[in-house]
Amino acid sequence: MIDTFSLALSHALLLIAAWRLVARPDLDSDGVRPGPPDTDILGRPRARGGARGDPDA
Amino acid sequence: MRELGFMGFLGALLVLGLKRPFLFILAYIYIDIVSPQRLTYILLPSIPVSMLMFMLAIGAWLVADRKDDMRVGARQIMMLVLLVYCGLTTYYIAEFQVEAYEKWDWASKALIFAIFLPLALRTKLRIEAVMLFMTLSLAAIIIGAGIKTALGGSGYGSFAMMVDNNSGIYEDSTLSTAAVMMIPIILYFTKWGSIFPPDWRVKLFSYALIGACLLTPIGTQARTGLVCAALLFVLMLRDSKRKSLFIGGAALAGVLALPFVPSAFSERMETIGGYQADSSASTRLAVWRWTFEFAQEHPLGGGFDSYRANRISVATTTVSGSGPSQTMSTRVHTDQSRAFHSSYFEMLGEQGWFGLALWLAIHGIGILRMEWLRRHYRGERAPEGFQWVSPLATALQNAHLVYLLGSLFVGIAYQPYFWILVAVQIGLDTYLARLRKAAAWKPLADQVSEPGTPKLVPTGQA
Repeated sequence: MIDTFSLALSHALLLIAAWRLVARPDLDSDGVRPGPPDTDILGRPRARGGARGDPDA
Repeated sequence: MRELGFMGFLGALLVLGLKRPFLFILAYIYIDIVSPQRLTYILLPSIPVSMLMFMLAIGAWLVADRKDDMRVGARQIMMLVLLVYCGLTTYYIAEFQVEAYEKWDWASKALIFAIFLPLALRTKLRIEAVMLFMTLSLAAIIIGAGIKTALGGSGYGSFAMMVDNNSGIYEDSTLSTAAVMMIPIILYFTKWGSIFPPDWRVKLFSYALIGACLLTPIGTQARTGLVCAALLFVLMLRDSKRKSLFIGGAALAGVLALPFVPSAFSERMETIGGYQADSSASTRLAVWRWTFEFAQEHPLGGGFDSYRANRISVATTTVSGSGPSQTMSTRVHTDQSRAFHSSYFEMLGEQGWFGLALWLAIHGIGILRMEWLRRHYRGERAPEGFQWVSPLATALQNAHLVYLLGSLFVGIAYQPYFWILVAVQIGLDTYLARLRKAAAWKPLADQVSEPGTPKLVPTGQA
C-alpha cells in the first residue's frame, strides 16, 4: 500500500515533468525564446497570428 | 496491476522520446535508478529494458542531437582511462573471473554512461531535467521508506524496500547515502526549478521529501546516513545567512524527529563511538588493514571482487558490570570474503594505487571545479541570467562531499547513481565554459573598429 503510493506519486510527477519538457523549446537549444513552442506536440507548426476567433488575428 | 503501470509509464516515455530524443536519456536514468524490471514479475524482467534504453539513448543522441559545439572535459578522459584500466584488470589480473565479469558488466555501463552524459548536457534545462529525474526516481523509493519509518518500521538489512534483493541503490547504506546526498539538490529546486516553478506545492513536496530523506537512514539503521547528515548540516551552515536561525531550525527538526526514532536505531547509533565492541566496525578495520597489505603485494590491484580472497580474524572486546566487578571478555571470530565496506579501499583493492589515484583525482577535481564556479558566479559577479549557477554549484558540491564521506564506510565507488552526479557536474562545467567562450568571441571587424586598436594601412599609402 505504502509502496504503491510512493511509486504512483513519484511516477505521476515524472510523467508531468516529461510532458512539460517536451513542450519546452529551450530543452534542445538555449538560444530559442523560452515559453510555448512554435510547433504543436506532433511537430506541426502552430498557426501564426493567433487561433481562429482570436481578436488579434 | 503494478506491472501494467510500469509498462504504461515506459511506453509514455518512449512516445514522448520520439518527439524529443533527450527523453530517452532521462528514461535510461530512471530505469538505472528504479530498476522497474526488479519490481515486477511477469513481462518486464524478461526484457532487457535497461540495455535497450541505453542503446536508444546513445543512438538517438548520435543520430538526432547537435554535436558541433561539443566539449570534452578532462575528467571524461580520466574516466575513460579508468574504464580501460578496469577492463584490463578484469581480463588479465582478476582472480575471481566469474564474479569480476559480473561486476564489470554493470560497473562499465555506469562509467560509459557517465562519460557520455555530459556530451548531451548542452542546455541549462537539460542539466535541470537530469537532476529532476534523479530526484524523482529516488523519491519512488524514499517516499515509501520515509513513511514506513514514520509509522515505526525499521531494521538494518530487513527494511522492506519493495525488492527482496538488497543490492544496488536498494542496499540500505547506499540508499541512505543517496538520500542525504540529494537534499541540497532538492533545496535547489525549491528556489531555482523551472520545470516545476517553485510555488507552495513544490515547496510542500520538497520539504516532505527532505523529511523522508532524513528518515531513511533512521529506518534503515544505516549509521553512515547519520554521519552524512551531520556533514551536510555543517556544509549548509557555511552558506546560511542567518546562522543562528539555521542552527535553531535544525535543532527543532531534530527534536520533532525524535518520536519517530525507533529504539533499535538509537542503540545502533550509540555504537558509533565504541567500535571495539562492535564486530561490524572491527571487521571493517580488519578488512581495510588486509586491503592495504594486499595492495603492497598487488600494486596494480586484484581486479573486481578481489576482497573474496581475504580471511580475517577479529577480536571484539566487551566490558560488562561496573566498578571493581567489571569484567572484560574478548571474543575472536574469523571471517572470510568480507566486502571492502569503503569505496576508497574498494578502489585500492580492485584497481590498485593507479586506480585509486585516478578515482581520487576525478572526484577531487569535481569538488575544486564546483568551488571555482561557486565563487566565479557568486552575487554581483554573476552575469545577468546566471544567478542560478552559484547555488547549483554549491548544491552539487555539497552532494558530492556527502558522497565522498559516505564512501568512507560503504563500497559505492562504481554505483551508477553517484556517477550520474559526477556527469552532471562535468556537464555544468563544460556548458558554462562553452558560454564563456562564446561571450568572449567577437567578429574581427568589431575588434578592429574598437578605439585603441592599431590600424593596418596598405604600404603604398603610408
